[in-house]
Amino acid sequence: MRKVSAFSAMIVMFSVFSTGAFALTADEIMKKSQAVFLYPGDDFKARVMMKLISKGGQERVREMMMLRKNYGEPGGEQKYFMYFFQPADVRNMTFMVYKYPGKDADRWLFVPAINMVRRIAAQDKRSSFVGSDFTYEDISGRNLEDDAHAVVKEEKIGNRDCTVIKSTPKASEMEYSYKLSWIDKATFLPVKEEYYDKKGELYRVFSADEIKDVKGHPTITKRSMKNLLSGHMTEVTFLKTDYNVGIEDSLFTERFLKQPPKRWIE
Amino acid sequence: MRKFSLVEFSVDHPKLIVALSIILTFLFLTQFPKVRTDTNPKNMLPPTSDVRVWNDEVEKTFALYEDMIVLGIQNEKGILNSDTLGKIQRITDEILKIKGVAARDVNGFSTITNVTAEEGMLKVAPLMTDVPKSGKELAALRKALFENPLFIDRIISKDGKTSAIYVPLEKGGNGKEIADKIREIVKKEKGDEKYYVAGDPVARDTFGADMFKLMAVFAPIAGMVMLLVRYLMFRDLFLSMALMMDAMISIVWSMGLLIALGFPIHIMSSMAPVFLMAIATDSMHIYNEFYFRYREKKNKRAAIIATMNAVSRPVRNTALATAAGFGVLLFMNIIPVKVFGGLVAFGTIALRVLSFSFIPAMFTFVKEEKIEKISRSEDAGAGGSSFLKKLAGIGIHKPLTTVLVGVALFIAALIGISKTVVNNNMVEWFKKGSDVRVADTVMNNALGGTSLGYIVAISDTDDYIKTPEAMRYIEGLQRRLEKLSVVGKTTSVVDYVKRINRVLHNDDPKYDAVPENKEMIGQYLFLFAMSAKPSDLDNVADYPFRKANIWVQLKTWDAKAMESVIAAVHDYRKENPTPMEFKPAGIAYFNLVWNHEVLWDMVKGLTLALIVVFAILAYDFRSIKWAVIGYIPLLFTILLIYGVVGFVGKDFDMPISVMSCLSLGMAVDFAIHFVSRLRQRMKETPGESLTDALLWTAARPGKGIMRNAILFAAAFAVMLFAPLTPYITVGAFIVSMMLLSALMTILYLPALITLTQGWLFKGETR
Repeated sequence: MRKVSAFSAMIVMFSVFSTGAFALTADEIMKKSQAVFLYPGDDFKARVMMKLISKGGQERVREMMMLRKNYGEPGGEQKYFMYFFQPADVRNMTFMVYKYPGKDADRWLFVPAINMVRRIAAQDKRSSFVGSDFTYEDISGRNLEDDAHAVVKEEKIGNRDCTVIKSTPKASEMEYSYKLSWIDKATFLPVKEEYYDKKGELYRVFSADEIKDVKGHPTITKRSMKNLLSGHMTEVTFLKTDYNVGIEDSLFTERFLKQPPKRWIE
Repeated sequence: MRKFSLVEFSVDHPKLIVALSIILTFLFLTQFPKVRTDTNPKNMLPPTSDVRVWNDEVEKTFALYEDMIVLGIQNEKGILNSDTLGKIQRITDEILKIKGVAARDVNGFSTITNVTAEEGMLKVAPLMTDVPKSGKELAALRKALFENPLFIDRIISKDGKTSAIYVPLEKGGNGKEIADKIREIVKKEKGDEKYYVAGDPVARDTFGADMFKLMAVFAPIAGMVMLLVRYLMFRDLFLSMALMMDAMISIVWSMGLLIALGFPIHIMSSMAPVFLMAIATDSMHIYNEFYFRYREKKNKRAAIIATMNAVSRPVRNTALATAAGFGVLLFMNIIPVKVFGGLVAFGTIALRVLSFSFIPAMFTFVKEEKIEKISRSEDAGAGGSSFLKKLAGIGIHKPLTTVLVGVALFIAALIGISKTVVNNNMVEWFKKGSDVRVADTVMNNALGGTSLGYIVAISDTDDYIKTPEAMRYIEGLQRRLEKLSVVGKTTSVVDYVKRINRVLHNDDPKYDAVPENKEMIGQYLFLFAMSAKPSDLDNVADYPFRKANIWVQLKTWDAKAMESVIAAVHDYRKENPTPMEFKPAGIAYFNLVWNHEVLWDMVKGLTLALIVVFAILAYDFRSIKWAVIGYIPLLFTILLIYGVVGFVGKDFDMPISVMSCLSLGMAVDFAIHFVSRLRQRMKETPGESLTDALLWTAARPGKGIMRNAILFAAAFAVMLFAPLTPYITVGAFIVSMMLLSALMTILYLPALITLTQGWLFKGETR
């Protein structure tokens, strides 16, 4: 009798361990997702077309060259360089961000009309990025440790099998109460995200509308963010996307902010 | 073949008639739970009206909210201390959680965008992210507040004692519910601070809630007073109740029908029960005559039928005239005016049908001895009647003097009318001490103003708004508007550009100006949009920068205020030519437009009603001459009342204009009764002199007229205690109008008839 029960206990324990070994925890999934979503390659280049669409259907266009370089492991330091083509009156305006894990980023802006570089305080990560529905945090990523992650369910989005993760901010002053992410099991890219406000209502939806393989990196080349309350939405298309293009460290300096090298902005 | 007589049928089958009436009433009552109210003045005009289409377009273009609640926070010792600021932050946090609040665009200390320069670093962030604790932090906040013109008079008063949180509502958010929740939130805070909840949605939705209370409380109280007065007049509770029921039944039928047809109850239709109760008093003439007739006939059935024969024509025709007076409103443009007109016209007809069925049926239930007792006291020579005879006597014996006094009064009235000020002010619909009014006054004294209008600058080229010339023009226009005493503050895209210019140049006040070229302006705006809330820029400029939106905060809800702003814009543009066009918009503008439309619609309706009523009088009397005579006291009454309104300086507003129709509808009743009965009398007693006939008319149907007027006045005096001024206005108006028109009828009709008898009776056999 005793032997039998010990044996069955072993079976039970084995089955528990085996499923544990195959399924990733919510934290692990989010970590992988962050790596493929925000940190692929050594560096990255894309011409970004951003369309800001109001509820009434009015459109504003932002067009920029975005250059990014990683320093260290996924989740670590990154530098961004952005050059604006559109709107026409901000042509030649450039924007640079040093992103640090667990610390406020540094931002600089070059205003060509007065030939002046100004540092911009990055206090509010949740503020809008160039008037779009994306926040600075949506563009450069949120510190994974700032949220508690949990697997909610599994669901198919289109033909992609996804794990749905609920991320709840640990700090209460966030403007949203939690976020649901649909993480593609195959690529680990977020296919969809839903933000719920303090009243528990869905108010912001991110969706990956086109995923392409670029130099072996699955890359979201079309994405959108819609604010359900204001009816405003932003569509972003990446053109001429490329990885490992050899961006030099010196690009990320005030000198090149004022005069960006031609080869990077064509 | 005898014609079917509803009266005889009702007298013969009284139980059936009463049962039928009650069953019908219950059927209409079943509709009541479906009631909806609509207090949004916006719906006064159809969604397709120009002003609404334009306002919707402006709201869309500039991502504006239709409705905004303003929470004022006042501390006599100044609000810039950690304690008060902590409260402001807590309250803001709580407000953000309320359902129906557009949280992303709530503006207060802890959420409003602030653009500053600190040690060479440009900072775009909420003004107060943490509550300042040290004196140094407090000083920094004070500096940030008072050096930024975008904040002064908006979130901080010049004396630093008042702050405000602006709470925009999502579409469909109920202003009263949200205002109540805000009141609950502030109630939890203790201390010296005072809190004020103001704004258009609060006023509007509070008005709606109060309106219901009024309908539910004041209409029944008015009904009870009428019941009591009637009882004192006739000493018979049963018959008084019957009269009361008559009014109630018609109210239930009309309101039930309105609800069943799916119409919401609007400010105007909410007054309909009161109007119907007033019109119902016309059945007083039936009672009045019945007791006289009973004395003569001593048989209940015969007396009822004789009474109905005698009064049927005037009662029918007064009903027709009243129904027509309100019915013409069906041809107006404004939906609630149409609904109101149709509603009252229907109720009036229902009342008359009841007068010929329900009331005679009810008479049959009264014991003969009781009638006998009452009718004994009814004597054309006794009490009130002799007073009426004396009154009519003045008119008969001194007709010329009476008429001359009338002419003098008429001229005075015309002068008064010429002084009329057309204006509307929704906040003044509340009494002086009411929460809504107090909050509004306090906020308007301390800050830029609670009533919001927009002036939209429109150019025909993209990016024109970004040019220095457009910027300077708008800046100049703002300064001009700010010179008007009603304008508290103006805000535009120019204010943001100037602010950034200054901040980028190390906060040097020299740069608090429009930059010299378009590139700078474009880049500054882009810079601002990089970090501010999207709505900050959206609210003041459209996407292609063809249009700019100037916010004009007004210190009063007077429709006149927005009018003066529009006039100032017009003048400025005339003096300073520009390719830009300027168009007004916003709630203040909307209030101006709808108030005017309703008002002129009512004036138009009154004119039309006057014509129709004249036609009915002419038809009823079968004589244009008699119609003219009957018409004069009626016109006179209306003119006198509006003359007094003009002299007193009371604004000629929407509620006042609505009253015109009622005064017409009621005053015509008296004239019809008087003239019909006089002519009937003269036919029945051919030998009697005109003077005697007039005296008889003044004493007998005149008593009915006077009773009717007193009953009315008594009931409506109740409304003088209503919490909303339009109802007080209505009450005061009806009380004076009823007494005046009864007086006019009894005094002036005899005078006029005596004076013009040669002309009047020419060709008539006497």
